[in-house]
Amino acid sequence: MSTCVNLSQAQTDHGDFIERVRKMSDQDVRKCYQCGKCSAGCPVHNCNGMDVSPNRIMRMVQLGMEEEVLKTKTIWVCVVCSTCTARCPRDIDIGRVMDGLRIMAYKKNYLQYAKNATDFHQTFFNNIATFGRAYEMAFAIGLTLKTGYMFGILDLAPATLLKGNLPFFPSKLKNSRQIKEIVENIKRMEGEK
Amino acid sequence: MKYAYYPGCSLHATQKAYDMSVKAVCKTLGIELWEIPDWVCCGASSAHSLGHLLGLAIPAKTLVSAEKEGLDVVAPCAACWQRLVWVNHEVTTNPDMRDKINKAIGAELKGTSKVLSIMEAVNSAGIDKISQAVKKPLKGLKVASYYGCYYVKPPKIAHVDDPESPHLIDDMMVALGAEAIDWPYKTECCGASLGFIDFDTTLMMSKKVLDFAVKSGAELIVTACPLCQMNLDMYQSKINKKFGTKYNIPVCYFTQLMAYTMGYSANELGMGKNYTAYESAFSKIG
Ligand code: SF4
Ligand code: SF4
Repeated sequence: MSTCVNLSQAQTDHGDFIERVRKMSDQDVRKCYQCGKCSAGCPVHNCNGMDVSPNRIMRMVQLGMEEEVLKTKTIWVCVVCSTCTARCPRDIDIGRVMDGLRIMAYKKNYLQYAKNATDFHQTFFNNIATFGRAYEMAFAIGLTLKTGYMFGILDLAPATLLKGNLPFFPSKLKNSRQIKEIVENIKRMEGEK
Repeated sequence: MKYAYYPGCSLHATQKAYDMSVKAVCKTLGIELWEIPDWVCCGASSAHSLGHLLGLAIPAKTLVSAEKEGLDVVAPCAACWQRLVWVNHEVTTNPDMRDKINKAIGAELKGTSKVLSIMEAVNSAGIDKISQAVKKPLKGLKVASYYGCYYVKPPKIAHVDDPESPHLIDDMMVALGAEAIDWPYKTECCGASLGFIDFDTTLMMSKKVLDFAVKSGAELIVTACPLCQMNLDMYQSKINKKFGTKYNIPVCYFTQLMAYTMGYSANELGMGKNYTAYESAFSKIG
Protein backbone atom coordinates (compact mmCIF):
# COMPACT_ATOMS: atom_id res chain seq x y z
CA MET A 1 0.00 0.00 0.00
CA SER A 2 1.33 3.42 -0.88
CA THR A 3 2.04 5.56 2.15
CA CYS A 4 1.40 8.87 0.42
CA VAL A 5 -2.18 9.61 -0.54
CA ASN A 6 -3.60 12.70 -2.17
CA LEU A 7 -6.67 13.18 -0.03
CA SER A 8 -8.37 15.86 -2.07
CA GLN A 9 -7.95 13.69 -5.14
CA ALA A 10 -9.41 10.71 -3.23
CA GLN A 11 -12.39 12.83 -2.23
CA THR A 12 -12.95 14.05 -5.79
CA ASP A 13 -12.67 10.58 -7.30
CA HIS A 14 -14.20 8.47 -4.53
CA GLY A 15 -16.22 10.92 -2.45
CA ASP A 16 -19.27 8.71 -2.77
CA PHE A 17 -17.40 5.61 -1.55
CA ILE A 18 -18.72 5.97 2.00
CA GLU A 19 -22.25 6.16 0.62
CA ARG A 20 -21.78 3.04 -1.47
CA VAL A 21 -20.38 1.26 1.59
CA ARG A 22 -23.49 2.33 3.48
CA LYS A 23 -25.74 0.91 0.79
CA MET A 24 -23.77 -2.33 0.66
CA SER A 25 -23.52 -2.91 4.41
CA ASP A 26 -26.37 -0.84 5.84
CA GLN A 27 -23.79 0.80 8.13
CA ASP A 28 -22.85 4.47 8.33
CA VAL A 29 -19.09 4.67 8.67
CA ARG A 30 -19.34 8.46 9.07
CA LYS A 31 -20.24 7.83 12.70
CA CYS A 32 -16.82 6.38 13.52
CA TYR A 33 -14.79 8.72 15.74
CA GLN A 34 -11.62 6.64 15.75
CA CYS A 35 -11.59 5.48 19.36
CA GLY A 36 -9.74 2.34 18.27
CA LYS A 37 -11.80 -0.04 20.39
CA CYS A 38 -12.50 -2.27 17.38
CA SER A 39 -8.80 -2.82 16.78
CA ALA A 40 -7.99 -3.26 20.46
CA GLY A 41 -10.26 -6.29 20.70
CA CYS A 42 -9.83 -7.74 17.23
CA PRO A 43 -8.40 -11.26 17.64
CA VAL A 44 -7.04 -11.44 14.10
CA HIS A 45 -5.32 -8.06 14.37
CA ASN A 46 -3.91 -9.00 17.77
CA CYS A 47 -2.32 -12.08 16.22
CA ASN A 48 -0.72 -9.94 13.50
CA GLY A 49 -2.98 -11.39 10.82
CA MET A 50 -4.00 -8.04 9.30
CA ASP A 51 -2.05 -5.56 7.20
CA VAL A 52 -4.26 -2.63 8.25
CA SER A 53 -6.06 -2.41 11.61
CA PRO A 54 -9.89 -2.30 11.61
CA ASN A 55 -10.13 1.31 12.84
CA ARG A 56 -7.77 2.41 10.07
CA ILE A 57 -10.01 0.68 7.55
CA MET A 58 -12.89 2.74 8.89
CA ARG A 59 -10.87 5.96 8.57
CA MET A 60 -9.80 5.06 5.05
CA VAL A 61 -13.43 4.56 4.08
CA GLN A 62 -14.22 8.01 5.48
CA LEU A 63 -11.40 9.50 3.44
CA GLY A 64 -12.55 7.89 0.20
CA MET A 65 -9.48 5.69 -0.12
CA GLU A 66 -11.43 3.14 -2.09
CA GLU A 67 -8.66 1.46 -4.04
CA GLU A 68 -6.41 1.21 -0.99
CA VAL A 69 -9.13 -0.31 1.20
CA LEU A 70 -10.28 -2.84 -1.35
CA LYS A 71 -6.73 -4.05 -1.84
CA THR A 72 -6.03 -4.82 1.81
CA LYS A 73 -5.59 -8.28 3.25
CA THR A 74 -7.61 -7.16 6.29
CA ILE A 75 -10.98 -7.25 4.59
CA TRP A 76 -10.39 -10.90 3.65
CA VAL A 77 -8.98 -12.20 6.93
CA CYS A 78 -11.67 -10.64 9.11
CA VAL A 79 -13.60 -13.67 10.39
CA VAL A 80 -16.66 -11.58 11.27
CA CYS A 81 -16.39 -12.63 14.89
CA SER A 82 -18.17 -9.32 15.63
CA THR A 83 -16.19 -8.57 18.76
CA CYS A 84 -15.64 -5.08 17.34
CA THR A 85 -19.35 -4.73 16.65
CA ALA A 86 -20.25 -5.75 20.19
CA ARG A 87 -17.95 -3.06 21.60
CA CYS A 88 -18.19 -0.14 19.18
CA PRO A 89 -19.43 2.91 21.13
CA ARG A 90 -20.85 4.36 17.90
CA ASP A 91 -22.97 1.28 17.28
CA ILE A 92 -21.42 0.44 13.92
CA ASP A 93 -21.54 -3.18 12.80
CA ILE A 94 -17.93 -3.31 11.63
CA GLY A 95 -18.20 -6.98 10.75
CA ARG A 96 -20.88 -6.10 8.22
CA VAL A 97 -18.75 -3.29 6.86
CA MET A 98 -15.96 -5.85 6.29
CA ASP A 99 -18.42 -8.20 4.58
CA GLY A 100 -19.57 -5.34 2.36
CA LEU A 101 -16.00 -4.36 1.46
CA ARG A 102 -15.21 -7.95 0.56
CA ILE A 103 -18.17 -8.09 -1.77
CA MET A 104 -17.11 -4.79 -3.38
CA ALA A 105 -13.55 -6.07 -3.87
CA TYR A 106 -14.86 -9.33 -5.29
CA LYS A 107 -17.09 -7.50 -7.75
CA LYS A 108 -14.09 -5.50 -8.92
CA ASN A 109 -12.26 -8.78 -9.35
CA TYR A 110 -9.53 -7.75 -6.88
CA LEU A 111 -8.59 -11.33 -6.17
CA GLN A 112 -4.83 -11.16 -6.08
CA TYR A 113 -4.42 -9.15 -2.85
CA ALA A 114 -5.38 -12.00 -0.55
CA LYS A 115 -5.16 -14.89 -2.92
CA ASN A 116 -5.52 -17.65 -0.31
CA ALA A 117 -8.80 -16.11 0.79
CA THR A 118 -10.35 -15.65 -2.61
CA ASP A 119 -9.18 -19.13 -3.64
CA PHE A 120 -10.77 -20.54 -0.50
CA HIS A 121 -14.11 -18.80 -1.02
CA GLN A 122 -14.31 -19.66 -4.69
CA THR A 123 -13.33 -23.30 -4.17
CA PHE A 124 -15.75 -23.71 -1.30
CA PHE A 125 -18.57 -21.97 -3.07
CA ASN A 126 -18.16 -23.96 -6.27
CA ASN A 127 -18.15 -27.09 -4.15
CA ILE A 128 -21.48 -26.38 -2.44
CA ALA A 129 -23.04 -25.07 -5.65
CA THR A 130 -22.14 -28.38 -7.29
CA PHE A 131 -23.11 -30.76 -4.51
CA GLY A 132 -25.68 -28.80 -2.50
CA ARG A 133 -23.74 -29.66 0.63
CA ALA A 134 -20.03 -29.35 1.32
CA TYR A 135 -18.19 -32.36 -0.07
CA GLU A 136 -15.09 -31.96 2.04
CA MET A 137 -12.85 -34.47 0.31
CA ALA A 138 -13.23 -32.71 -3.04
CA PHE A 139 -12.91 -29.33 -1.36
CA ALA A 140 -9.70 -30.28 0.46
CA ILE A 141 -8.13 -31.56 -2.74
CA GLY A 142 -9.33 -28.59 -4.81
CA LEU A 143 -8.02 -26.08 -2.28
CA THR A 144 -4.70 -27.91 -2.01
CA LEU A 145 -4.22 -27.73 -5.76
CA LYS A 146 -4.64 -23.96 -5.57
CA THR A 147 -3.00 -22.98 -2.29
CA GLY A 148 -1.16 -26.08 -1.05
CA TYR A 149 -3.50 -26.08 1.96
CA MET A 150 -3.19 -29.77 2.88
CA PHE A 151 0.59 -29.94 2.61
CA GLY A 152 0.83 -28.11 5.93
CA ILE A 153 -1.31 -30.66 7.77
CA LEU A 154 -0.28 -33.90 6.08
CA ASP A 155 0.80 -35.33 9.44
CA LEU A 156 -2.87 -35.27 10.50
CA ALA A 157 -4.07 -37.10 7.40
CA PRO A 158 -3.57 -40.73 8.53
CA ALA A 159 -5.45 -40.17 11.79
CA THR A 160 -8.18 -38.27 9.97
CA LEU A 161 -8.77 -41.07 7.49
CA LEU A 162 -8.52 -43.74 10.17
CA LYS A 163 -11.09 -42.00 12.33
CA GLY A 164 -13.42 -41.81 9.35
CA ASN A 165 -13.50 -38.04 9.63
CA LEU A 166 -13.20 -37.36 5.91
CA PRO A 167 -15.81 -39.36 4.00
CA PHE A 168 -14.87 -40.38 0.46
CA PHE A 169 -18.30 -39.76 -1.02
CA PRO A 170 -20.54 -36.68 -1.05
CA SER A 171 -23.60 -36.51 1.21
CA LYS A 172 -26.70 -37.84 -0.51
CA LEU A 173 -29.25 -35.25 -1.47
CA LYS A 174 -32.32 -35.59 -3.68
CA ASN A 175 -32.05 -32.15 -5.21
CA SER A 176 -28.41 -31.12 -5.29
CA ARG A 177 -29.20 -28.25 -7.68
CA GLN A 178 -30.87 -26.06 -5.04
CA ILE A 179 -27.91 -23.72 -4.53
CA LYS A 180 -27.21 -23.49 -8.24
CA GLU A 181 -30.82 -22.46 -8.80
CA ILE A 182 -30.52 -19.68 -6.22
CA VAL A 183 -27.35 -18.42 -7.93
CA GLU A 184 -29.14 -18.42 -11.27
CA ASN A 185 -32.18 -16.63 -9.83
CA ILE A 186 -30.00 -13.92 -8.30
CA LYS A 187 -28.15 -13.43 -11.57
CA ARG A 188 -31.48 -13.03 -13.34
CA MET A 189 -32.70 -10.55 -10.69
CA GLU A 190 -29.51 -8.49 -11.06
CA GLY A 191 -29.98 -8.48 -14.82
CA GLU A 192 -33.53 -7.15 -14.43
CA LYS A 193 -32.37 -4.11 -12.45
CA MET B 1 -40.80 -31.01 22.62
CA LYS B 2 -40.13 -31.28 18.93
CA TYR B 3 -37.72 -29.30 16.77
CA ALA B 4 -36.76 -29.21 13.12
CA TYR B 5 -33.12 -30.33 12.98
CA TYR B 6 -30.60 -28.70 10.69
CA PRO B 7 -27.34 -30.62 11.19
CA GLY B 8 -25.33 -28.73 8.55
CA CYS B 9 -22.52 -30.13 6.44
CA SER B 10 -19.88 -30.76 9.07
CA LEU B 11 -22.14 -32.84 11.31
CA HIS B 12 -22.69 -35.15 8.40
CA ALA B 13 -18.99 -35.46 7.60
CA THR B 14 -15.96 -34.40 9.64
CA GLN B 15 -17.89 -33.85 12.87
CA LYS B 16 -20.14 -36.88 12.97
CA ALA B 17 -19.42 -37.30 16.67
CA TYR B 18 -21.24 -34.03 17.35
CA ASP B 19 -24.31 -35.32 15.51
CA MET B 20 -24.22 -38.60 17.45
CA SER B 21 -23.96 -36.86 20.80
CA VAL B 22 -26.63 -34.24 20.05
CA LYS B 23 -29.05 -37.02 19.17
CA ALA B 24 -28.11 -38.99 22.29
CA VAL B 25 -28.67 -36.02 24.61
CA CYS B 26 -31.96 -35.08 22.96
CA LYS B 27 -33.21 -38.64 23.14
CA THR B 28 -32.48 -38.85 26.85
CA LEU B 29 -34.15 -35.52 27.54
CA GLY B 30 -37.23 -36.31 25.47
CA ILE B 31 -36.47 -33.75 22.76
CA GLU B 32 -37.63 -34.98 19.37
CA LEU B 33 -35.57 -33.95 16.33
CA TRP B 34 -37.08 -33.96 12.86
CA GLU B 35 -34.27 -33.64 10.33
CA ILE B 36 -35.19 -31.18 7.60
CA PRO B 37 -35.41 -33.22 4.40
CA ASP B 38 -33.05 -32.22 1.62
CA TRP B 39 -31.43 -29.40 3.58
CA VAL B 40 -28.60 -27.59 1.81
CA CYS B 41 -25.35 -26.01 3.02
CA CYS B 42 -25.79 -22.65 4.81
CA GLY B 43 -23.01 -21.15 2.69
CA ALA B 44 -20.82 -19.95 5.59
CA SER B 45 -18.36 -18.43 5.43
CA SER B 46 -18.12 -17.95 1.68
CA ALA B 47 -21.57 -17.04 0.38
CA HIS B 48 -21.88 -13.89 2.50
CA SER B 49 -18.36 -12.86 1.45
CA LEU B 50 -19.27 -13.06 -2.21
CA GLY B 51 -22.73 -11.47 -2.23
CA HIS B 52 -25.14 -10.06 0.37
CA LEU B 53 -28.34 -11.55 -1.06
CA LEU B 54 -26.49 -14.78 -1.84
CA GLY B 55 -25.43 -15.07 1.80
CA LEU B 56 -29.06 -14.77 2.93
CA ALA B 57 -30.90 -16.70 0.24
CA ILE B 58 -28.91 -19.92 0.57
CA PRO B 59 -29.62 -20.50 4.28
CA ALA B 60 -33.18 -19.22 3.74
CA LYS B 61 -33.86 -22.15 1.46
CA THR B 62 -33.56 -24.62 4.31
CA LEU B 63 -35.84 -22.69 6.64
CA VAL B 64 -38.80 -22.99 4.30
CA SER B 65 -39.73 -26.59 5.11
CA ALA B 66 -39.32 -26.07 8.86
CA GLU B 67 -41.70 -23.14 8.65
CA LYS B 68 -44.22 -25.23 6.72
CA GLU B 69 -44.10 -27.84 9.50
CA GLY B 70 -44.61 -25.09 12.07
CA LEU B 71 -41.49 -26.11 13.97
CA ASP B 72 -38.70 -24.10 15.55
CA VAL B 73 -35.27 -24.99 14.22
CA VAL B 74 -32.20 -26.31 16.03
CA ALA B 75 -28.80 -25.86 14.38
CA PRO B 76 -25.82 -27.23 16.37
CA CYS B 77 -23.15 -25.48 14.27
CA ALA B 78 -22.52 -21.91 15.42
CA ALA B 79 -21.84 -20.66 11.90
CA CYS B 80 -24.99 -22.28 10.45
CA TRP B 81 -26.98 -21.06 13.42
CA GLN B 82 -25.87 -17.45 12.96
CA ARG B 83 -26.54 -17.51 9.21
CA LEU B 84 -30.09 -18.77 9.86
CA VAL B 85 -30.64 -16.14 12.54
CA TRP B 86 -29.57 -13.43 10.10
CA VAL B 87 -32.11 -14.68 7.59
CA ASN B 88 -34.92 -14.45 10.13
CA HIS B 89 -33.74 -11.02 11.20
CA GLU B 90 -33.81 -9.69 7.64
CA VAL B 91 -37.08 -11.40 6.74
CA THR B 92 -38.89 -10.00 9.78
CA THR B 93 -37.42 -6.47 9.80
CA ASN B 94 -36.68 -5.63 6.18
CA PRO B 95 -39.63 -6.16 3.79
CA ASP B 96 -37.58 -5.19 0.78
CA MET B 97 -34.93 -7.80 1.54
CA ARG B 98 -37.62 -10.36 2.39
CA ASP B 99 -39.08 -9.97 -1.09
CA LYS B 100 -35.66 -10.36 -2.67
CA ILE B 101 -34.88 -13.47 -0.65
CA ASN B 102 -38.22 -15.02 -1.51
CA LYS B 103 -37.72 -14.28 -5.16
CA ALA B 104 -34.26 -15.82 -5.09
CA ILE B 105 -35.46 -19.03 -3.43
CA GLY B 106 -38.77 -19.23 -5.27
CA ALA B 107 -40.73 -19.69 -2.04
CA GLU B 108 -42.35 -17.65 0.68
CA LEU B 109 -40.51 -17.35 3.95
CA LYS B 110 -42.17 -15.39 6.77
CA GLY B 111 -39.66 -15.81 9.56
CA THR B 112 -42.10 -17.54 11.92
CA SER B 113 -39.83 -20.42 12.97
CA LYS B 114 -37.45 -19.47 15.73
CA VAL B 115 -33.85 -20.61 15.25
CA LEU B 116 -32.34 -22.07 18.41
CA SER B 117 -28.76 -22.91 19.23
CA ILE B 118 -28.16 -26.38 20.59
CA MET B 119 -27.35 -24.99 24.04
CA GLU B 120 -30.75 -23.27 24.19
CA ALA B 121 -32.53 -26.35 22.90
CA VAL B 122 -30.92 -28.66 25.45
CA ASN B 123 -31.39 -26.12 28.20
CA SER B 124 -35.08 -25.84 27.30
CA ALA B 125 -35.57 -29.28 28.84
CA GLY B 126 -34.83 -27.65 32.20
CA ILE B 127 -31.77 -27.83 34.45
CA ASP B 128 -33.59 -30.16 36.85
CA LYS B 129 -34.36 -32.66 34.15
CA ILE B 130 -30.73 -32.55 33.00
CA SER B 131 -29.34 -33.21 36.47
CA GLN B 132 -31.90 -35.96 37.09
CA ALA B 133 -30.75 -37.75 33.94
CA VAL B 134 -27.15 -37.96 35.16
CA LYS B 135 -26.02 -41.49 35.97
CA LYS B 136 -22.26 -40.86 36.16
CA PRO B 137 -21.68 -37.42 37.71
CA LEU B 138 -18.59 -35.42 36.86
CA LYS B 139 -17.43 -35.29 40.51
CA GLY B 140 -15.92 -31.85 40.35
CA LEU B 141 -14.12 -32.27 37.03
CA LYS B 142 -12.80 -28.81 36.12
CA VAL B 143 -14.49 -27.89 32.86
CA ALA B 144 -13.87 -24.78 30.77
CA SER B 145 -16.99 -23.94 28.77
CA TYR B 146 -15.94 -22.36 25.50
CA TYR B 147 -18.67 -20.52 23.59
CA GLY B 148 -16.63 -18.92 20.85
CA CYS B 149 -17.84 -15.81 19.12
CA TYR B 150 -20.71 -16.63 16.79
CA TYR B 151 -23.31 -17.51 19.44
CA VAL B 152 -23.01 -14.24 21.33
CA LYS B 153 -21.85 -11.61 18.83
CA PRO B 154 -23.03 -9.32 17.37
CA PRO B 155 -25.33 -9.11 20.41
CA LYS B 156 -28.22 -7.44 18.58
CA ILE B 157 -28.54 -10.45 16.29
CA ALA B 158 -26.79 -13.33 17.99
CA HIS B 159 -27.79 -13.20 21.63
CA VAL B 160 -27.88 -16.69 23.00
CA ASP B 161 -26.31 -15.28 26.14
CA ASP B 162 -24.24 -12.37 27.45
CA PRO B 163 -21.69 -11.36 24.78
CA GLU B 164 -18.73 -11.10 27.17
CA SER B 165 -19.66 -13.46 29.98
CA PRO B 166 -22.12 -16.19 28.98
CA HIS B 167 -23.03 -18.96 31.44
CA LEU B 168 -25.59 -21.24 29.78
CA ILE B 169 -23.16 -24.12 29.19
CA ASP B 170 -21.48 -23.51 32.55
CA ASP B 171 -24.85 -23.94 34.28
CA MET B 172 -25.43 -27.22 32.50
CA MET B 173 -21.93 -28.42 33.37
CA VAL B 174 -22.62 -27.72 37.03
CA ALA B 175 -25.84 -29.73 36.69
CA LEU B 176 -23.68 -32.64 35.52
CA GLY B 177 -21.53 -32.34 38.63
CA ALA B 178 -18.63 -30.39 37.13
CA GLU B 179 -16.79 -27.43 38.51
CA ALA B 180 -17.32 -24.73 35.90
CA ILE B 181 -14.08 -22.78 35.89
CA ASP B 182 -14.12 -19.04 35.48
CA TRP B 183 -11.82 -17.97 32.66
CA PRO B 184 -11.38 -14.96 30.42
CA TYR B 185 -11.41 -16.36 26.88
CA LYS B 186 -14.91 -17.88 26.79
CA THR B 187 -16.03 -15.83 23.81
CA GLU B 188 -12.75 -15.06 22.07
CA CYS B 189 -12.56 -16.22 18.49
CA CYS B 190 -10.58 -19.42 17.79
CA GLY B 191 -9.92 -18.36 14.20
CA ALA B 192 -12.99 -20.11 12.76
CA SER B 193 -12.49 -20.88 9.08
CA LEU B 194 -9.45 -18.61 8.81
CA GLY B 195 -7.39 -21.81 9.03
CA PHE B 196 -8.04 -22.37 5.34
CA ILE B 197 -6.68 -18.91 4.52
CA ASP B 198 -4.02 -18.02 7.07
CA PHE B 199 -3.06 -21.08 9.08
CA ASP B 200 -0.36 -19.43 11.22
CA THR B 201 -2.63 -16.66 12.46
CA THR B 202 -5.33 -19.21 13.26
CA LEU B 203 -2.93 -21.33 15.30
CA MET B 204 -1.93 -18.26 17.27
CA MET B 205 -5.58 -17.39 17.95
CA SER B 206 -6.41 -20.91 19.12
CA LYS B 207 -3.25 -21.08 21.20
CA LYS B 208 -4.40 -18.11 23.28
CA VAL B 209 -7.69 -19.86 24.00
CA LEU B 210 -5.97 -23.09 25.05
CA ASP B 211 -3.46 -21.15 27.11
CA PHE B 212 -6.07 -19.35 29.19
CA ALA B 213 -8.09 -22.52 29.72
CA VAL B 214 -5.05 -24.43 30.93
CA LYS B 215 -3.77 -21.58 33.10
CA SER B 216 -7.20 -21.27 34.68
CA GLY B 217 -6.96 -24.86 35.82
CA ALA B 218 -9.27 -26.59 33.34
CA GLU B 219 -8.96 -30.35 32.91
CA LEU B 220 -11.23 -30.38 29.88
CA ILE B 221 -12.67 -27.88 27.39
CA VAL B 222 -16.18 -28.25 26.04
CA THR B 223 -17.33 -26.59 22.82
CA ALA B 224 -20.57 -26.14 20.90
CA CYS B 225 -19.21 -25.40 17.44
CA PRO B 226 -17.51 -27.61 14.84
CA LEU B 227 -14.99 -24.88 13.98
CA CYS B 228 -14.00 -24.34 17.61
CA GLN B 229 -13.71 -28.10 18.05
CA MET B 230 -11.55 -28.47 14.94
CA ASN B 231 -9.22 -25.63 15.85
CA LEU B 232 -8.70 -26.55 19.51
CA ASP B 233 -8.78 -30.32 19.16
CA MET B 234 -7.45 -31.34 15.75
CA TYR B 235 -4.84 -28.58 15.61
CA GLN B 236 -3.66 -28.84 19.21
CA SER B 237 -0.67 -30.92 18.09
CA LYS B 238 0.15 -28.34 15.40
CA ILE B 239 0.02 -25.59 18.02
CA ASN B 240 2.40 -27.54 20.26
CA LYS B 241 4.79 -28.06 17.39
CA LYS B 242 4.70 -24.44 16.27
CA PHE B 243 5.01 -22.79 19.65
CA GLY B 244 6.95 -25.46 21.55
CA THR B 245 4.09 -25.80 24.03
CA LYS B 246 2.93 -29.00 25.70
CA TYR B 247 -0.83 -28.60 25.84
CA ASN B 248 -2.51 -31.88 26.44
CA ILE B 249 -6.04 -30.92 27.28
CA PRO B 250 -9.00 -32.88 25.94
CA VAL B 251 -11.52 -30.90 23.91
CA CYS B 252 -14.96 -32.31 23.22
CA TYR B 253 -18.50 -31.18 22.51
CA PHE B 254 -20.55 -30.36 25.59
CA THR B 255 -23.10 -32.81 24.29
CA GLN B 256 -20.49 -35.59 24.27
CA LEU B 257 -19.66 -34.99 27.91
CA MET B 258 -23.33 -34.65 28.82
CA ALA B 259 -24.40 -37.83 27.04
CA TYR B 260 -21.50 -39.69 28.66
CA THR B 261 -22.72 -38.72 32.12
CA MET B 262 -26.18 -39.87 31.07
CA GLY B 263 -24.93 -43.38 30.46
CA TYR B 264 -23.80 -43.56 26.84
CA SER B 265 -20.46 -45.19 26.11
CA ALA B 266 -17.53 -43.28 24.62
CA ASN B 267 -17.95 -45.35 21.50
CA GLU B 268 -21.59 -44.41 21.01
CA LEU B 269 -20.56 -40.77 21.17
CA GLY B 270 -17.72 -40.98 18.67
CA MET B 271 -15.13 -39.97 21.27
CA GLY B 272 -12.51 -41.80 19.22
CA LYS B 273 -13.08 -39.34 16.40
CA ASN B 274 -11.66 -36.54 18.55
CA TYR B 275 -7.91 -36.01 18.28
CA THR B 276 -6.97 -35.13 21.87
CA ALA B 277 -6.92 -37.99 24.38
CA TYR B 278 -10.00 -37.86 26.58
CA GLU B 279 -9.42 -41.07 28.56
CA SER B 280 -7.64 -39.74 31.64
CA ALA B 281 -10.19 -36.96 32.17
CA PHE B 282 -13.11 -39.33 31.57
CA SER B 283 -11.67 -41.91 33.97
CA LYS B 284 -12.54 -39.58 36.87
CA ILE B 285 -16.21 -39.66 35.93
CA GLY B 286 -18.60 -42.09 37.51
S1 SF4 C 1 -14.90 1.02 17.71
FE1 SF4 C 1 -16.36 2.08 16.35
S2 SF4 C 1 -16.01 4.28 16.71
FE2 SF4 C 1 -14.26 3.18 17.59
S3 SF4 C 1 -12.72 3.20 15.94
FE3 SF4 C 1 -13.85 1.28 15.76
S4 SF4 C 1 -15.52 1.73 14.33
FE4 SF4 C 1 -14.70 3.69 15.01
S1 SF4 D 1 -15.30 -8.91 13.07
FE1 SF4 D 1 -13.40 -8.81 11.90
S2 SF4 D 1 -12.56 -6.80 12.37
FE2 SF4 D 1 -14.11 -7.20 13.90
S3 SF4 D 1 -13.00 -8.09 15.63
FE3 SF4 D 1 -13.72 -9.81 14.38
S4 SF4 D 1 -12.05 -10.25 12.96
FE4 SF4 D 1 -11.65 -8.21 13.81
